Amino acid sequence: MTTRTRYFVIASLLVLIVGLGTGLVAYYTGFQMTALARRGGPQELQYVPNNVSLVAYADVHAVMTSELRQRVHDAATVTHNGQQEFENQTGINIETDIDHIVACLDPGPQGQEGSGLVLARGRFNDAKIESLMRAHGALVEDYHGKRVITTDRKAESFSVAFVQPGLVAVGSSPLVRKAIDLQSGGDNVTNNDELMGLVRSLESGNAWAVGRFDALRSKAHLPETMTSQIPAISWFSVSSHINGGIRGVIRAETIDEQAATNLRDVLRGFMALAKMQAGAKPEYGAMLQSLELGGTGRTVALSFSVPAQVFDALGQAGHAGAPRHR
Amino acid sequence: MKQPSVGAASARILDLSLGEMLWSRRSVFLALVAGAPVVLAAVVRIATASFGPMEINGAGVTGGALFGLSIWLLYIRFIVPVLGIFYGTSLIADEVDDKTITYLFTRPIPRSAVVFGKYFAYLACTTLLILPSVVLVYLLMASIGGSLGESFPALLADLAMLAVGLAAYGALFAFVGARMKRPLVTGLVFAFGWEPAVLLFPGYLKRLTVAYYLQALVPHAMPSDSAVSILMQVFHDVPPVPVSLASLAVIIAAALWAAGRTVETREYVLEQ
Repeated sequence: MTTRTRYFVIASLLVLIVGLGTGLVAYYTGFQMTALARRGGPQELQYVPNNVSLVAYADVHAVMTSELRQRVHDAATVTHNGQQEFENQTGINIETDIDHIVACLDPGPQGQEGSGLVLARGRFNDAKIESLMRAHGALVEDYHGKRVITTDRKAESFSVAFVQPGLVAVGSSPLVRKAIDLQSGGDNVTNNDELMGLVRSLESGNAWAVGRFDALRSKAHLPETMTSQIPAISWFSVSSHINGGIRGVIRAETIDEQAATNLRDVLRGFMALAKMQAGAKPEYGAMLQSLELGGTGRTVALSFSVPAQVFDALGQAGHAGAPRHR
Repeated sequence: MKQPSVGAASARILDLSLGEMLWSRRSVFLALVAGAPVVLAAVVRIATASFGPMEINGAGVTGGALFGLSIWLLYIRFIVPVLGIFYGTSLIADEVDDKTITYLFTRPIPRSAVVFGKYFAYLACTTLLILPSVVLVYLLMASIGGSLGESFPALLADLAMLAVGLAAYGALFAFVGARMKRPLVTGLVFAFGWEPAVLLFPGYLKRLTVAYYLQALVPHAMPSDSAVSILMQVFHDVPPVPVSLASLAVIIAAALWAAGRTVETREYVLEQ
């Protein structure tokens, strides 16, 4: 071996060793060399119990002021009964009072229905909300120094609590009380390493959700023939950015690599079929072309982009199908 | 004087051929092939830092996904087969064309040691160029919108898979080069004609390719970049990893044995 060849071999091995060493250190220490520094999720996660099966976040202000929301509002003939009723009951205007929300779903014990909790950060008139809810028959109690307003609709108990200035907890009474308990510490969802790892891995977006697919499936009461067809997914996460359209990523973690491979095969088949059909519907073509399947190991990732034109087309289809009134 | 063993003779041929192979004119092509993905990764890195996250078809793409795309589109579908063809077929064919094979065969070493030594020189040459290229692409791309640690297990799998791919294609085309008159044409038809065609259709013919077993070792999802890719994915039939590794080992061993036997028994008639 000549000297020149020897130096080349040494240089190549050096690049390999340095590169692999860097990757190994990054792998074991979780060292992130990204331009975007990611926090470990919103601060409100400290009020979410550890045993929830779904956690979601939405930047309500960004979504409500987005061009997409305006297009959907103009295109869709939906009424605002739910939003209006919520404001009538609680005095909270979703469009103007709320900056962002963190929501969670507790599956509950076997044989019982699950319950939900929404933590909303924004500007709230506590006194006005309390008096409005009292006027609708709600009861006010003091729970660990916090005022909890509870409405009792038949078997469902719905509560609103002012956990701290600018933070309102709305949801089932047990979960609202649990959120108040967690303010002084306790076993909250930030102690769930698996879930928090998924939260930290989500790309920057103004809405995301992370959950245990198997826990949610067990509560869905699906027929046996259907549950046997659903892939063996443990965790799922959805991250999206809403402005003029919606773009995002859906990730699923399966129980093993074979399940992930099978799920990728199924999705590829559906994507191929959808893309072949896209010729008949050009307005959906851009959306279907944006579908990109990825992921390694036990993770399956599907990225998508729904342009605003799709919602325009849906709105036109809705208007065309609506009955004409004389 | 006792004839050296096949192993010792192969090692001597390896030592001799490695320098010849590295500093030949063909190595300019090898350097371009190994360097192009690194340059591309650097451009993507600079573009991402300057203009924000990259999007493909309107969807944001992380560095890990870009790295996986590079492995599929650059290394697996082009670089590995091309290097196997151009270097593997030339191991013996070049010596025949240059009329220098006589000098090798007059040495008191087994003839098969010539092809084995040259094959291992090819393997050393290509792995020492391609694997560092992959590592550099990984360092440049994987941290875009993600973390190096996240893609590290995939990097290890990719490095092992590419080394096995270079070994398999090299062995196969070493045999083609030793056996056939127009090995380059045969190699190109096999790698860019036969393999993509049979992988497209269901059935057992895909088992007669190297790509069928090699693609089973790739940790990244196959990209859906064209109608052909989509069709390939619809009929994607992935063998288990142990079966793929065993099959590739059989291909390497059988092709090298066949190349050795060919060189031992064939009379190379040099054109005057």
